[in-house]
Amino acid sequence: MINLLINILILLFVPFLMTGVIKKTKAFWAGRKGVSIWQPMWDFMRLIKKDSVVSRTTSWVFKFAPVAGFASIIFAAFFVPLAGGKAIIDIPFAFIIFSYVLGFGKFFSLISALDTGSSFEGMGASREACFSTIVEPAFFIAMASIAALSQNYTFDGFKMILGNAGGYGYLIIALAAITLFIMLLIEGCRVPVDDPTTHLELTMIHEVMILDNSGVDLGLITWGSAIKMLLFEALIANLLIPASLGGWETLVAFLAIIFALAILIGTVEASVARFRMTHVFEFIFIMSITALIILALTTYRIYGG
Amino acid sequence: MKFYFLSLSLMLLGALISTVVKENWKLKICSVFTFLSAILMLLPAAAVLLTGIPLAQSVYMSPVLGDVNFVIDPLSAFFVIVISIMSFLGTVYANGYMKPYLAKGMNISSHCFFLMMLIASMLAVVTVQNALFFLIVWEMMSLSSFFLVIFEGNKKEVIAAGIKYLVYMHLSVVFIIAAFVLLNIQSNSLNFADFNTFLQGNEKFANLIFFLAFIGFGIKAGFVPFHNWLPDAHPAAPTHVSGIMSGVMIKTGIYGILRVLLFIGTPSKSISYTFLVIAVISALYGVLYAITQHDIKRLLAYHSIENIGIIGIGISVGMLGLAYGNPVVASLGFAGGILHILNHSIFKELLFFAAGSVYLKTHTRNIEALGGLIKSMPYTALMFIVGSVAICGLPPFNGFISEFLIYAGMVQGIPASEIGLFLTLIFAIAGLAMVGTMAILCFTKASGIMFLGNPRSEAAANVKDDVARVMIIPMGILAFLTFFIGMFPQYIIGAVLIPVSLFVWNDVAYQIFNSIVGLMSGISWCFFWFFILMLLLFVVRAVLNRKSEIHNTWGCGYNKPNNRMQYTASSYANLFVSTLKPLFKRVSHIKKPKELFPKEAYYELEIEDIEEAYIVKPLIKWDEKLLAKFERIQSGNIQQYILFGLIFLILAIIGMIYFGG
Repeated sequence: MINLLINILILLFVPFLMTGVIKKTKAFWAGRKGVSIWQPMWDFMRLIKKDSVVSRTTSWVFKFAPVAGFASIIFAAFFVPLAGGKAIIDIPFAFIIFSYVLGFGKFFSLISALDTGSSFEGMGASREACFSTIVEPAFFIAMASIAALSQNYTFDGFKMILGNAGGYGYLIIALAAITLFIMLLIEGCRVPVDDPTTHLELTMIHEVMILDNSGVDLGLITWGSAIKMLLFEALIANLLIPASLGGWETLVAFLAIIFALAILIGTVEASVARFRMTHVFEFIFIMSITALIILALTTYRIYGG
Repeated sequence: MKFYFLSLSLMLLGALISTVVKENWKLKICSVFTFLSAILMLLPAAAVLLTGIPLAQSVYMSPVLGDVNFVIDPLSAFFVIVISIMSFLGTVYANGYMKPYLAKGMNISSHCFFLMMLIASMLAVVTVQNALFFLIVWEMMSLSSFFLVIFEGNKKEVIAAGIKYLVYMHLSVVFIIAAFVLLNIQSNSLNFADFNTFLQGNEKFANLIFFLAFIGFGIKAGFVPFHNWLPDAHPAAPTHVSGIMSGVMIKTGIYGILRVLLFIGTPSKSISYTFLVIAVISALYGVLYAITQHDIKRLLAYHSIENIGIIGIGISVGMLGLAYGNPVVASLGFAGGILHILNHSIFKELLFFAAGSVYLKTHTRNIEALGGLIKSMPYTALMFIVGSVAICGLPPFNGFISEFLIYAGMVQGIPASEIGLFLTLIFAIAGLAMVGTMAILCFTKASGIMFLGNPRSEAAANVKDDVARVMIIPMGILAFLTFFIGMFPQYIIGAVLIPVSLFVWNDVAYQIFNSIVGLMSGISWCFFWFFILMLLLFVVRAVLNRKSEIHNTWGCGYNKPNNRMQYTASSYANLFVSTLKPLFKRVSHIKKPKELFPKEAYYELEIEDIEEAYIVKPLIKWDEKLLAKFERIQSGNIQQYILFGLIFLILAIIGMIYFGG
């Protein structure tokens, strides 16, 4: 019960701190003092209090989409093992439900972008939809390989890679972490795929889709996307944390990895510029390649040696 | 079985009556008779699915046909249920859809007659177990659907599509006949029950039969590369016919494949692999081309190919499970595939009906000319969005359940003993994941551009009200079904597992089925919380969001946005299409701006099916060239024709003496 409570607290509030840390890191590399790491939370509180402006073109889809997106992210989080190393809902084939539930939220955020009848928002939607056609297969290849290696169909399988993969265990874990980190950058709309702080609509992906959202809706969307980043970080953390650790140690290690990743994201954002849209595909294909290498290593491990 | 025959004869009676009553009454008669016969048909089918005991009756037809067996086994019962419910909803929808045609004074007698014949023959196809009679009803089905397709026969493209359909269907029947003739020679019987003894244990012969039957039934089902008739026939046909054809009729092809599979028993590994590869390619190919289409019915037709592919993936995973002796994989694969048959027929009819309603109001199928219809047609828009979410396989709708089962089968099969199986399954998983995301791309495009934003043309702006209630209600029922099956799959899965038990039958099957039902209950429980979470959040949002101001869409400082500045379907799909350039044949029609003050300029991009452009068209050209050589024979001289007949007869007699011994 305490475990569940801690998990829910982490799920809901750590994302704010995490984005705060990312911002702080960026400021550090730029030589600025930067805003407080609590700033994202204050921003959120301010957004909820605000009234909203709604386009006259929009329909119920526009109002439903932020709710659907947020609910799908929270629901997807139930299948991801967080601090205690156990998911809230333990069901086989969790990674399939996980990505399809996220897909539900994505569907509505895409059509809500088209709902405004804007000349820009469709562009972001088109890009987001297009990228996920390459991201998902790679994710599924990596997950299915790990499932084969660990003989386990939930995210718990991450823990068994070391035991089952022999000498390749560390390599596979590293590659899986890279795959998930790239997926995090794409799904979380971070540099070098997308720049959350850009101010030119033509170059944006996620930000341009939510140009017309304001007030509570915008708050839900930003909170939701921070939680989504946390989910991928949690997956990476589960890969890295050894199974031998005890309860409290796992929690500490989990939080440490979350914040370490946040600092890593901040560093990446400070050191790399956003890619040109045509080069983004090449970046995403790196993820497919790491997934295929995982598959190759798994195949060699099971059938080769 | 009495109910079954009564139901079939009611259907034929309805067909006859509908030809003689007044025009306005015809479709009503059709609906009433389909309703009655659907009820009568559901009784035995439900009984079979509940008890698992097949019903059978043998009828002596004629000296040629001999005893014809009518059998409702669990597999037939499943298809009977799908066909009767979906066809009934189709005829109800037709009442509203055909009104404008009636108002124009068009004669719909033949349409009603063939509609009833199509439904009756589909029901017969899935229950007849006599090879010759099967071919007769199969041909009746093809012909009656041909006449339904060419309803608007005064249009040139409709006739062209109809003839293409007819040619494809006859190619299909050639292969089916070949398969049945071979079986008949071996077993000396027309009865399906006698076939399996000659196929089981004889792998080479079984492979040959499956190969022939797969091409024959695959043309009907629309597997790539036999899919070419679909994207032409569906836009040409009236919408309820497209709905019935795409939702139900192409599934008879799947039925045929499943039935042949039952003759074979345990399929060989090679045909299972081939089937899986073809199925994955069909799914990818269908959705890839769907993204490029802007004619909504063509888009949906390509999605039928995709979904047939997904059904095929399920069935072939089941076959691989059988071939490798893994009952868990086999049950999950077959359950996913067979459930997807039901699911696809529900959401595809829903989408076709919604698209047809839009066509009825705006008289265009081009989605680039639509937009903003969610305001004037709120119910249709809601139905289309529900259908879109369902067809993308997103939870909590029905498409997810069947795709989940298929995934589960594949993931369970991964710890395989053979490296080939391992890699094939992993790539099939990746393929299915890619199909899912591409479907999201395609259906966000379709629903977003058609119903959301501002109207992109006069026709879309002038729509005043939604379609009649008689069209909304069938859609509502279908939308409810997609949601119900998605939320409570554990109640439906039983109806699927009984047909599955025909394929996977051993002592552990019971246990596996129980665990599948358990998995479904687990999912249902999860989705229940998902639903509650969403409701709760919606309330929270409504409470927090006190005031909203209505304003123009943000145009980056530009305050006079007009409807032509909106994002279009082509631009939405462009990033994806241009990334995958080599997979499409792009034909562009350009008129460049000329002179000092250019008056007219346009750019039009047409995307052709590569299979049609590089395989079918060259074949037809070659065929025409070859056949042109025989033109000389057709001289118009009757004496010469009689001579040909005589020569043929003599050759035939010589042949018979020589070979017949």
